Amino acid sequence: MDNAIYVGLSRQMLLQRELDIAANNLANVDTVGFKFEEMLSSADEVPSTKPGGANPPLTFVTANGVMRDYTQGSLTQTGAPLDVAIDGKGFFKISTAAGTRYTRDGRFKLDPTGKIVTQDGDAVQGDSGDITLDPKKGAVTISSSGEISQSGAIVGKLSAVTFDSLSALSKDGSNLYRNDSNLTEQPATSAVLKQGMLEGSNVQPITQITRLIEINRAYDAVSTMMSSTASLSSNTIQRLGAVNAS
Amino acid sequence: MQALRTAATGMAAQQLNVEVISNNIANMNTVGFKKQSAVFEDLLYQTQQEAGAQSSDQGNIVPTGVQIGVGVKAGSVYRITGQGTLTDTGNTLDLAINGPGYFEVLLPTGETAYTRAGNFSTNAQGQIVTQDGYMVQPTITIPQNSTNLTISQEGQVQVTTPGNTTPTVVGQLQVATFLNDAGLDATGSNLFMESAASGQATVANPGTAGYGVIMQGYTEASNVDPVSEITNLIVAQRAYEMNSKVVTTADQMLSTAVNTKS
Repeated sequence: MDNAIYVGLSRQMLLQRELDIAANNLANVDTVGFKFEEMLSSADEVPSTKPGGANPPLTFVTANGVMRDYTQGSLTQTGAPLDVAIDGKGFFKISTAAGTRYTRDGRFKLDPTGKIVTQDGDAVQGDSGDITLDPKKGAVTISSSGEISQSGAIVGKLSAVTFDSLSALSKDGSNLYRNDSNLTEQPATSAVLKQGMLEGSNVQPITQITRLIEINRAYDAVSTMMSSTASLSSNTIQRLGAVNAS
Repeated sequence: MQALRTAATGMAAQQLNVEVISNNIANMNTVGFKKQSAVFEDLLYQTQQEAGAQSSDQGNIVPTGVQIGVGVKAGSVYRITGQGTLTDTGNTLDLAINGPGYFEVLLPTGETAYTRAGNFSTNAQGQIVTQDGYMVQPTITIPQNSTNLTISQEGQVQVTTPGNTTPTVVGQLQVATFLNDAGLDATGSNLFMESAASGQATVANPGTAGYGVIMQGYTEASNVDPVSEITNLIVAQRAYEMNSKVVTTADQMLSTAVNTKS
C-alpha cells in the first residue's frame, strides 16, 4: 500500500525538474538564439511481485529526456555590421579551447588581429577556418549565403552547418551547443544569413506561465493523494489495532 | 530548489535590461548619444542523464538525455550606432556628421577620443574645442577679429579676415571611421575610445566615399526612440514579473511538500 506514496513521489520529483526547466525557459525569454525545452516523461512499469499477478502492476513515472524546440525565433534589427542572424535551419561553427561548438547567436566582433570572434573571443569558422578582416579596408558586407566582402572583394565565407538529427546536440551554456554524437555536420543549404540582425528567443511566455500553473496544481494533487493514502494507513492501524472492550 | 535560483538570474538580467533602458531614456536629449541594448546568454547546463548513454545491455542508447539549464547571464550591452536626426541650431560652430564618422578629440592625457557631439566652441587661443575644452583634431585656429566662419560639407574651414574680401582657408576638419563602431568604449561626456573590438580608426576628409559629410549649424540629436524604449521597458517589466511567478510557484510547491505530512 505504501507503493502509492512512492508512485506519487516519482511524479513529484519529475515535477520539480519540470519546474526547473520552465524556470530556465522564462529566465531566457530575452536570450539571443535561445531554444526552449520541455521534459519528456515515460511510464516505468514494474511487474507485479505476487505470483499470478493478483495486484495490478505498478507504474512509476521517469524522466525520459529533454525535448528542445528548434523553431525559428523572431529576428530583430541591431544595425551592427558584425551581427548575423540565421533565418532557417543551421548553426554557426565556433572553434573554442574545448573543441568545436555550434551557435545561433551571431553577435560577432573583431579581435585585435582582425579575426571574427564571438563575444567570448572564440574564432568563428568559415568554409576555410578562421576569417580575418582588414580593419583598414572599411565597411563589411555579408551576403545571404555568407560571403563576406570588404571594398568589393570577397575576403571569406561564413559557414552555416546542420545535422541530420538535431537531437545530436547538447547545450553547453553561453548560447553554445556541442555535438556528442557520431553524426557529422553538413552544410545548411536552406539557411539565409541576415546581416545587422539577431535572432530572439523562441520562448512563448504564455505557454511557460501555463506550464507553471499546471506543475503547481499537479504537485498539489499528488500531495493530496499522498496524504490521503497516509491517513488511510493510519486509520487502518488504529481501527484494526484497537482492543475490543466487550 | 534550482527553479528559485534560476528565476533569480532571470530577474537580475531584466534588472540590467531596465538599467540600460533607463540610461537611454535619460539621454534622450543628449547630443550625439547612441542608444544601447542589453543582450543575454544562457548559463551552464546540468546534465542529469547523458545523451548517448546505454540504456540496456542490448545496446539501446538514450536519444536525448536530460539537461537542465540554470538560468541566464548578461552577454553584452550593445550600442546601436544609427544616425540621429539633425537639429538646426544656427550656431556657426555646431557641426553634425551626416553619415558614418567621428570627430577626433585630443584628451589632456594625450590620448585620442572620438565623438559625434559636434557642439564646439573656441578657446582663448581661438582653437576649436569641445564643451570640455578638449581640442578637436587636427587643431584649427580661428584668427581674431575674423568674420564669416564657414565650414563646407567636406570639412574645409574658411574665414574672412579684416581687410580682405575673399575668404581664407584656415584648416581642414577630418573624421574617423571604424570597422565596428559598436565596439567603441564609451568613456562618458559623449566621448568614445578605440578598442580591440572596434578596430583601428581610419581618418579621411568628410565626404570621401564611406564617410559622412559635415553640416554646419546643426547638431545630431540622440538616436533614442522614446516609443521603442517604453515598449522595451514594458517587455522587461513583464519578463521580470514572469520570473517572479516562477519564484511564487516554487515557493508554493515547497509549502505543499512541507504540508503533505499534517
